[in-house]
Amino acid sequence: MKRILKFVLVACAMMAGCKDDSGGGAGASSASTPGSASAMALKLNGSTTVNLPAAEAAEILRAEKGMNIQMDTHGGSAGGISQLGDGLVQIGMSSKPLSDDDRKKYPKIQFNPIHIGEDAVALIVSKDVWDGGVKTLSKQQAKDIYEGKVTNWKELGGADQRIAFFNKEPGRGTWEVFAHWVYGSPKSAPAVNFPEVGGNEETRNKVASTRGALSQLSSSWADGKTVFALALKADDGQVVEPAPANIATGRYPMSRPLFLLTDGEPARDVKTFVDFLLSARGQALVRKHGYLSLDQLKR
Amino acid sequence: MCRTTDRVVFVAALGCAVIACGVLLSIVAAIAIRGLPAVSWHFLTEQIRLVGAAGGIFYNLVGTLLLIATAGAISTPLAMGIALTHSYYLPEGRARRNLSLLLYALNGTPSILFGIAGLIIFVKYFGWGKSWLSGGILLGFLILPTVTVSLVERIKVLPGKYIEAAAGLGLTRSQIVSSVVLPQSMSGLITGLLLGLARAAGETAPIMFTATIFAGATFPAGVKESPVLSMPYHIFILCQDSYDPGVSAKVWGTATVLLGLVFLLSLIVLPMRLKVHEEAKNA
Amino acid sequence: MTPTRVLTPGESLFLAPRRQWDLVRASSYGFTAVTVLALAVALTLLVWQNLPIWGHSGEGYFTGKNWYFRHQAFGMLPMLYGTIAVSVIALLLAGPIGIGAAVFAGEYLPARARMVMKLMIELLAGIPSVVYGLLGILILRNYVYDSLRAMGMDPLSGDSLLTAGLLLAVMVLPTVMTLADDALRGVSPIQRQAARGLGLSQGQSILFVLLPQAGRGLVAAVLLALGRALGEAIAVFLVVGRQDNQWPRFPFAPDSLINAGQTLASKLGGAETNIAYGDPVHWAAVVGLGLILLSVVITVTLLSAWIQRRGEAHV
Repeated sequence: MKRILKFVLVACAMMAGCKDDSGGGAGASSASTPGSASAMALKLNGSTTVNLPAAEAAEILRAEKGMNIQMDTHGGSAGGISQLGDGLVQIGMSSKPLSDDDRKKYPKIQFNPIHIGEDAVALIVSKDVWDGGVKTLSKQQAKDIYEGKVTNWKELGGADQRIAFFNKEPGRGTWEVFAHWVYGSPKSAPAVNFPEVGGNEETRNKVASTRGALSQLSSSWADGKTVFALALKADDGQVVEPAPANIATGRYPMSRPLFLLTDGEPARDVKTFVDFLLSARGQALVRKHGYLSLDQLKR
Repeated sequence: MCRTTDRVVFVAALGCAVIACGVLLSIVAAIAIRGLPAVSWHFLTEQIRLVGAAGGIFYNLVGTLLLIATAGAISTPLAMGIALTHSYYLPEGRARRNLSLLLYALNGTPSILFGIAGLIIFVKYFGWGKSWLSGGILLGFLILPTVTVSLVERIKVLPGKYIEAAAGLGLTRSQIVSSVVLPQSMSGLITGLLLGLARAAGETAPIMFTATIFAGATFPAGVKESPVLSMPYHIFILCQDSYDPGVSAKVWGTATVLLGLVFLLSLIVLPMRLKVHEEAKNA
Repeated sequence: MTPTRVLTPGESLFLAPRRQWDLVRASSYGFTAVTVLALAVALTLLVWQNLPIWGHSGEGYFTGKNWYFRHQAFGMLPMLYGTIAVSVIALLLAGPIGIGAAVFAGEYLPARARMVMKLMIELLAGIPSVVYGLLGILILRNYVYDSLRAMGMDPLSGDSLLTAGLLLAVMVLPTVMTLADDALRGVSPIQRQAARGLGLSQGQSILFVLLPQAGRGLVAAVLLALGRALGEAIAVFLVVGRQDNQWPRFPFAPDSLINAGQTLASKLGGAETNIAYGDPVHWAAVVGLGLILLSVVITVTLLSAWIQRRGEAHV
């Protein structure tokens, strides 16, 4: 009877789904990836900053070598670390240094950070703030703004306009770099109450369209037309702009490394990917998206 | 006095209608104006390149279609079972009412909760990672009330004479169901399915934790760890995280295509619904 | 002698003989059971995963005004306020306009035009929420920001509870219109004829007969739309500002409405859901937000159903 057939077909389809357990979970070590039929797929997740060159590298490798590479940016740098820790991806992308807490949280994973480039976090402001005269910020000033002690640009030498601070989402590498600079460690950052923004596009979009706006953003995104990157007053009183030269030498305080994180030494597909990004072509991609490639660093 | 009241009421109602229609139509216009320039055959058949800044949305389209097809496949047997149970097998009374209430409640459940539940069940407990099947199942449950109610409504207006004739011929209850009721109510099933699929196509929340990624997936192989791309998620990510000013046109283009798909599904249903409407009036 | 009448299909069916358990009946019950069971399991899992937070924060979880996950503080009250504020704004706008438009379509338009309008509105009800979000973040928020500043107010940015409320109003408008139209059609023609017979003009009969008679249905329609507004995550996420701890000086204080806030749904759609994944207490807090949201929405939805049923009983 037709009915029986339909019923049986559907039941089989559902069972097939549950049974698909080809234990082909080969690949890096102890990562307890539930053995998947697409064990051939190389999975990456993490920072949207690193994603730019990495995703383009993936496109090239897909086209040239037929590799099956899946990219996602769920949860930013923190998401990359935790998904690598949970064994859900083979490479985590991070735009912040790995902390001891992260290592302790996932004892079974041998986190191996591979440096592929350098970026900087800038404090960006909207056009009216820049034109109003504020072009530099010191650490203390940033701290005061963050803690709500300073609420108007006129207190910092600018126009009479309330500071509209957009805080980066938790888990974003950008935020952690900022917290690192102002407080020494993200954990010491106090609890604050600001509107949040997520990725680069949203941040730039919102800062550009709001008067008195300030936020943290990857410096390569400050186009100098709609949003402007402030120079920072370093500890010794010197004013440092987020220019490539300053980032390369490390003088700009909020520079941050871009990492591909793997579990132990990279092997097979993971190695192919990593090697590509470290090669001349890969590094050209890093530069293309406004970051500094390894050879440009002078430390 | 009456004339003034009349006029006031008329103007107020007219104003509301104008505002309502105006706002809604201008939304569609806004999307189309910005998005149509980006849509072309090329856009639909090429895949994402340069992380969304170039290329097309082929695999996003494929992913969305796969998700809604799965949702349809999941919800069809369930909806048929529930509709039959509701209309025929359960006696009039509390059980039937409770089933109705359950469907009603399910229909009102926020879609983000499907996403959270899916995260717990499929990603955590089943260990499927991100899988197209999780998304399909979640969407299937999401549209279940739509499909079921459409079926139930159709069954309700079935001319009794067919059933009486079948009963007169000596068919058992279940034989009547399988040979008379189900075939006759197919239009209700299809109507409900198309309406449900139109809704499922645009949903982001149920799939963003469980089934879809931004780039890299093509056709899924197997069940576990096989995410798909999808149009709603593509738009959602590009709103926040787009990588290039040139992406803007692509986002609107994707929105236009998605809207087109939703409208297409809703429009196909129209002749069928008009026919049912006629039949119900004549019955 | 009782006159013979036509049996409903259901009744006819019961006349036919049946075998006790045949395949069609078994599979129908089976599928129903699978569905009910799946939903029950999902709900149970959600509740179970939510338990740790109550031990951690107790009732502070519900009444606390601060949510800082880094400091393990989980208080959801501002988000609950945000959810309610945003939905109320949406319904205050969409309710009257939707009902008014439905009245117009039903009372003043010829049948053909009414059909066209109805179909058009139903079509527009299908616009996905992410598309609304796109419109919100790229167009609406700038418009609201500029308008508020032109009116002399001083919002911090275009992201606010008000913006989210406006966006939601547009989203639920088609729903209100469709359901209100159904409710108005449900008023029997006899009532209208009686009103005319009594000498009421069209305007008067709408105001004093039609609307009150359809009252229950209209309330149910608005409640259903409210349910949808409460649960909307994606569109609200993009324009509400996502400020977790915005607590107003008094409920619906204007300055709280024109500034950023957070709703339960938009919180769930955000980054914390991914981050919370590993930590039981944090995860319990996040899941709890979902459960509270679910309870509120289900209550509203069932209330709507109950009101509708009460209405039907009266006819």
